[in-house]
Parts: sequence; structure tokens; C-alpha cells
Amino acid sequence: MNKGYLAIVLHGHLPFVRHPEHEDFLEEDWLYEAITETYIPLICVFEKLVEENIDFRITMTLSPTLISMLTDPLLQGRYLKHINRLIELAHKEIERTSWQHSFQKLAIMYLNEFCKARDIFEKYHRNLVLAFKNFQDLGKLEIITCGATHGYFPLMDVCRESVRAQVKVAVSHYESVFGRKPKGIWLPECGYLPGHDEILKEAGIRYFFSDSHGILHGTPRPKYGVFAPVYCKGTGVACFGRDLESSKQVWSSIEGYPGDYNYREFYRDIGFDLEFDYIKPYIHPDGVRINTGIKYFRITGTGNNKEPYVPEWARNKAADQAGNFMFNRQKQVEYLNDFMHKKPLIVSPYDAELFGHWWYEGPMWLDFLFRKIAFDQKEIRLITPSEYLEENPRNQVITPSLSSWGWKGYSEMWLQGSNDWIYRHLHTASERMTELAKSFPNVNGLLKRALNQALRELLLAQSSDWGFIMGTGTHTSYAVRRTKDHILRFTRLYEEIKANSIDAEWLSDIESKDNLFPNIDYKVHQ
Amino acid sequence: MAVIRKVKEKIKKVSARKKASKRVAKAKINKNSAPTEQKKEILGFREMVVEQAKFSHPEISRSRRGLAQDLPNKYDQDKLILQVRDPWWIHAYWEVRSATIEKLKNELRDEFYKAKRIIRVYDVSHIIFNGHNAHSSFDIEVHEYNNSWYIDTGGPGRSWCVDLGLLLPGGKFIMILRSNTVTTPLAGPSWITDEEWMIPEDMFARLYGLGFGLGQSSPVGRAWQEKVKHVLSSGVSSVSSPVKKAARKFWMRVDCELIVYGATEPDAKVTVQGKPISLRSDGTFTLRFALPDGKQIIPVKAVSADKVDERTITPIVVRETK
Repeated sequence: MNKGYLAIVLHGHLPFVRHPEHEDFLEEDWLYEAITETYIPLICVFEKLVEENIDFRITMTLSPTLISMLTDPLLQGRYLKHINRLIELAHKEIERTSWQHSFQKLAIMYLNEFCKARDIFEKYHRNLVLAFKNFQDLGKLEIITCGATHGYFPLMDVCRESVRAQVKVAVSHYESVFGRKPKGIWLPECGYLPGHDEILKEAGIRYFFSDSHGILHGTPRPKYGVFAPVYCKGTGVACFGRDLESSKQVWSSIEGYPGDYNYREFYRDIGFDLEFDYIKPYIHPDGVRINTGIKYFRITGTGNNKEPYVPEWARNKAADQAGNFMFNRQKQVEYLNDFMHKKPLIVSPYDAELFGHWWYEGPMWLDFLFRKIAFDQKEIRLITPSEYLEENPRNQVITPSLSSWGWKGYSEMWLQGSNDWIYRHLHTASERMTELAKSFPNVNGLLKRALNQALRELLLAQSSDWGFIMGTGTHTSYAVRRTKDHILRFTRLYEEIKANSIDAEWLSDIESKDNLFPNIDYKVHQ
Repeated sequence: MAVIRKVKEKIKKVSARKKASKRVAKAKINKNSAPTEQKKEILGFREMVVEQAKFSHPEISRSRRGLAQDLPNKYDQDKLILQVRDPWWIHAYWEVRSATIEKLKNELRDEFYKAKRIIRVYDVSHIIFNGHNAHSSFDIEVHEYNNSWYIDTGGPGRSWCVDLGLLLPGGKFIMILRSNTVTTPLAGPSWITDEEWMIPEDMFARLYGLGFGLGQSSPVGRAWQEKVKHVLSSGVSSVSSPVKKAARKFWMRVDCELIVYGATEPDAKVTVQGKPISLRSDGTFTLRFALPDGKQIIPVKAVSADKVDERTITPIVVRETK
């Protein structure tokens, strides 16, 4: 009999970036990099486990914007072009490094990885969402939803209609893709404000996650801390709290696994390192150096000197650390079980893009972890939140506290000097959207299209990613541009709708650019 | 949780890795941005670094996309909005219509110009605020040109409402705008320990049907029993080196590459160091190698299509780095 449960949760999200008007668009690479380095490696791990009949459970967010991009034919075609170029570059690298065995080995490794990525991509008919759906249908993976465009809910509270629209658009989009309703949601940035559970309940969502302090600082005091979910008072929507101990092991700058010296160095990429004329065809056409994904060095140490990456060493380290993670969880559940007289649940959520993109060895680590849990121990059992609730329906009722998993744990990442100016525009647009939804309860044709597009533009402006990027203070111009573009498009639509003079040609143009959520219904913004 | 920390890998600071990376690719990290400069571990800091890595691209000129149209400064509305930043701080932003100001000027005449513009912050915890029943309040003087303010309430777990108004020389307060009410979260555990428990209706109904057989419906539970027990793999600890202070930022890298190129009959077969290579349609070829220290002997051999003629030319290159 197991003594406790472990729920691994990966939050997969990227903002909607799709620019048909440009042949090469730098920011679209965010998606292509994540496909090659995170989504496909994770799919490979899951496939292998299923193939070898090794049982596992994992919960993953696929945000509605991410799903929209993964299923978009234009971006799918562009990814194929992208991966083909990488394959070409890898071939050149194998030749170029003929006299440097340690690098050539790596160039061959990358060639294999890129070819594998292309194979997987083609195997699922360019639609990776099908792969994830497959694992969900097999009962191994629970896919949860997110805010439609990852709007940060606590700073949308003055217009709850927008929170509602974020949730409802996400839920109906999920249904159209997976053929059933989502059981759970990842609140964007883990941002919870008391009362938003009412909106989740309306949408039929049974659970969400909060950061540790969201539960620990809830009222009344939670009897089992974060080691059992709670029900929100008044709605009964379940809230699962993040476990700090296991989070720290992976995330922490002091104890975190990804910083191991044997692991691949993220910041040394041949896109920056190699001679300009040679690398030029593989970086931005304007000559701006970018990451290619081919990285030859290991972290090595704290200094500038970097040594070549040795895959076997990194692999051994990932296996060690998976063992270490499991051992710590075993000790943790044993201790908690004695203390609680009940099976504790450890919830360990991470950014999906941490695995593979930032932490190259992450998917491998996850693979080792699942295998070790299946074969090497009996204290912990992997579980999804909905399975846990089925087996443990009796839980404490509290009101969790306002919280997020962002910098400092509350809203400061999205509300500081560099980004606080956006809220007067976002809130005004929200109010206007509510006004439109009320004024036009039943319309058709061009007017309906304009109203639906207005909601799309509003949602796109609300992505927390823009505020986040402004908050970090680096390469902010794109984030500022996107916020303004969508607000401007929304405002023009609002004015044209009110004046009953919709520019059909322009509407078609922005419909073809911001083409996500084809079945959106503006009436959800109420 | 300290008990659990007995076996723990000591892994070097990722922050050090980040510092090193700043030197390598400084375009990516702006040292002026407050969050990335945090030295100590702050809640959510790693999440931020990882999330930032998703967007790792240098700035490029966007002029080709046309000039940015700007957003309006004002929406012609009277509005004062409060939002919570954290347990202690709230943020207010506002807009006052010029018509509203004109009206006040007409009403107050001289007094308008002598008045101070203030925001009055009310503690309205657990009450229905009517403008007069706040537990306490404090004022912050603002300027005409301000349209937002960060307010240090010093009060986690309390509710707040704010008025923007004029404080007349006689002490009379004229409200211009009133905000929404917000509640700051607790900064620690609640003092309330009364417990309430529940089982959702639908789940209870199912349980009732099963005769309270908790967990029997789980196929996972059964599958688990079949798992083979293995010896625990122990947590291996690696030796960590002490984190050194970041060195200065200046850096340099030098590498050498060698380009070998030539030409022959387009239909000839060419090998370089014994490996066949492909020719361009005009019979030329170019090869590029990273050149390590040491001696490279590079025989280039061409054989005519009819295998009658053969030429071999062998460049020898020595690289020595000092």
C-alpha cells in the first residue's frame, strides 16, 4: 500500500504569436524552439513509457493559445521549414567539426534529434495536440485548460466579465479539441483571487492550483497544509496547493537540479558563437544572431570557461537526480503520513518549457523518475488531481488567499512601474466589451463577426506574457507593440460597431491574422 | 520539513550560471531590470527566469513595421480603480474628466486653487462603507499631473477604499472620485482554526452507491499492487564547489576555421581525407572545418569520370595557439 501521492504538473503555454504578414518572424521561434526542445521530447518520453507498459500519471496544461498555434496550418508549415533548416545546419556542423571529435559527436546527436523531431511531427500529421490527446485517452495524462489567452486574473477582477470570458472561451475551445470538458484549470501564473472560483464553477471546472501560500494563508487555517486539497467556501471547487520542498529541488537557484555542471549550457549557442557568414543563413534574415538550438557546452562551472558537453555524464546525472528526487518524496510522504494519519498528496508543478528548453535534460529526468517510481519503491503513487478527488472526496472547506507563483508571490510582476500603464486601457476595453455584449444580444452577419473579433482582440491584449516581458525589462518592444496593437484593433472595432460602419475589408484582414478561437461567442463576455 | 532535508544534493548556484551567461550573451539580460538583479532567492524568482528564457531573443529594429500608433491618454471618463499588488501595497489609477474639474473650479472658485489634491485611503474591513464609517483613514498628497499611485497600506488582510479629492485650506474634504473596494491577502497563516469539511453531492451519491467502498473504484490502486519491489536507489550526493564571486564582465573568445576549396571537372569524383564530397555543378567545392590546435594533413584527391586521370593535392596546416 502506498503511503502518499505525487502529482507532477507541467504548465505548457506560449502566447499567440502568428504573423502571416511576415515571411520570417523572430518571435514565432518561441514556438518552434519549444516544439523541438520540449513538446516533442516529452511526447517521446510518454510514447516510450506506454510502449514498454510502464504505468505513469502526469497532468499538463495545454493553454488555448498554445493549442491554437500547434493546430494552425501556417505555423505547422513554418515549423517544418524551420526543422528542415536545422537539419541542414546539423549536416554542415558534422562536416565542420570533423577534426573535433567531442563536438562532432554532439553535432551527430543534434542531427538525430532534429530528424526524430521531424518524424514525430509528421507522424501526428503535424498536429502535436493529437499526440497529447492520445495519452489523455490512454488515461496516463490529464490535460487541463488555462485562461483563453493566459490573462492574469487578479488584475482583471474589476471587470469579472473578462475573467468569465477567459474561462468560458477556454472551456469551449478545449471541448472542441478534446471532445470533453476540462476537469481542471491552471489559473494563468497560478493567480488566484477569492471569488474567481465562482466563475470556474459556472464553467463546470472542478479544480485549480494555487501556490503554497494561497492555501497556507487561507481562512480558516488548512488542517493539512498543502498536502491535501481544499474546497473553496461557497463553491466547492477544489484547490491544490504547490509543495515548496519538491518545487525548490527543481527550481531553486541554490539546490535546483538544472544548474548541475554536467548539464548543457543554455546560453552558449552556435547562433552566437560561430563566424558570421557561415551562420548567417540560420539566424534572422536581418543578420540578428539568435539561438539555433545547437549548443555544444556543458555548464562546467561558474566562470567563463566552458567545456564540451558529454551526453553520458549528463544522463548519469539525470538518473542520479531522479533517484534523489524520488528518495526525498518517499521520506516526505513517510514523515507526513505519520503526522497527518492520512495519505499526503505532493503537488509539484513546473513550467513545461523548463523541461528540455531551459533544462535540456529535463525530459530525461522525468523519464527516469517515472521508471524509478514504477519499479524501485512502493511509498508513493503518481496520481492526477481528478483521480485524487475520486478517491478522497472529503476535504476541508476554506477560502484560499490571493496569490500567484510569480516573482514575490503576488501581483507585482504584472503591476510595477514598467507595465502598470496597461491596465487603464485593458479595463476600459473590458468595460466596452461588456457594453457591446449587452447592446447586441442577438445579431448576425458582419456585425456578429465584428463583435467576435472584438473579443478576440481584447483577449489577446490581456495575455499576461506582455506584462511579464515588460516587467523583465528586456526586449520589451514586441510586448508593448502587441498590447497596443490589440487595444487599437479593439477600439477601432468598438467605434465602428457603435457607428454602424464596419470596414469589412479591414475586418477580414485582422480576422485572418488573429485567427484563433474560430467558434468564439462574444456573448460570453457578460 | 527540515527532517526531510537529510539527504540532499548540493548543487551549485544556478544564479552563478546566469551571471556567467550575462557575460556571454549580455544582449539577453538587462542588468537594469530590477527582478533579475535579485541576489537572494525570492519567491517565484526561478519561475521568472525560466519563463523569461522562453522569450530569449535580442531586440531588433522594428521600423519596417511602420510607426506605432499610440493609445489615447484619456478615455473621457471619471474613474478611480484600486488593485492589490501584495499583502501591503495597493495600486490606484485614475482619470478625471476635464468637465468634472471645470465644474469644481466653478463651484469652489478661489478655494479650488488653494486646495491640495489628495487621495484618502480608508480601512473598510468587514463593513459596508458609506463614506463615514471607516475604521481609519490616511491621506497622500498628489499632484494634478499624477494619474496613479502605489499605496503602502501596511495592513495585510484588510479591505481598502480610496477617494480622490480636494482638501480645502479649512480642512474640508471634497470627494471627486471613489474607488472600488479591494482586500489585501494575509501575510501569514490565518488565526481562524474552525474546520469545515465537505463531500460534494455528486461524489457522495456515487460513494453511497458503492457502499462507502472508498478507493475500490480505482484501477490505479489495483495496478499498483502488482508492481515489483526494488531496492531503493540511493540519493547520490555530488560534491559542490563553493560559489565564487562573479568575475568582471569583460571577455573574449577566439576560434579558427579552415576553408578548403578547389575545382575540377564537374563529373570527377573527389575525396577529402578519404571521405567523398559532392561538387557544385561547375566542378567547384568548398569545405569548412573548425581548426583545432595541431597538424592537419588534408589530402584532396580527384579521379576523372572514366577513372583514367587522378590528381592528389595535400595541404598541411598547423595551428598553434599561444
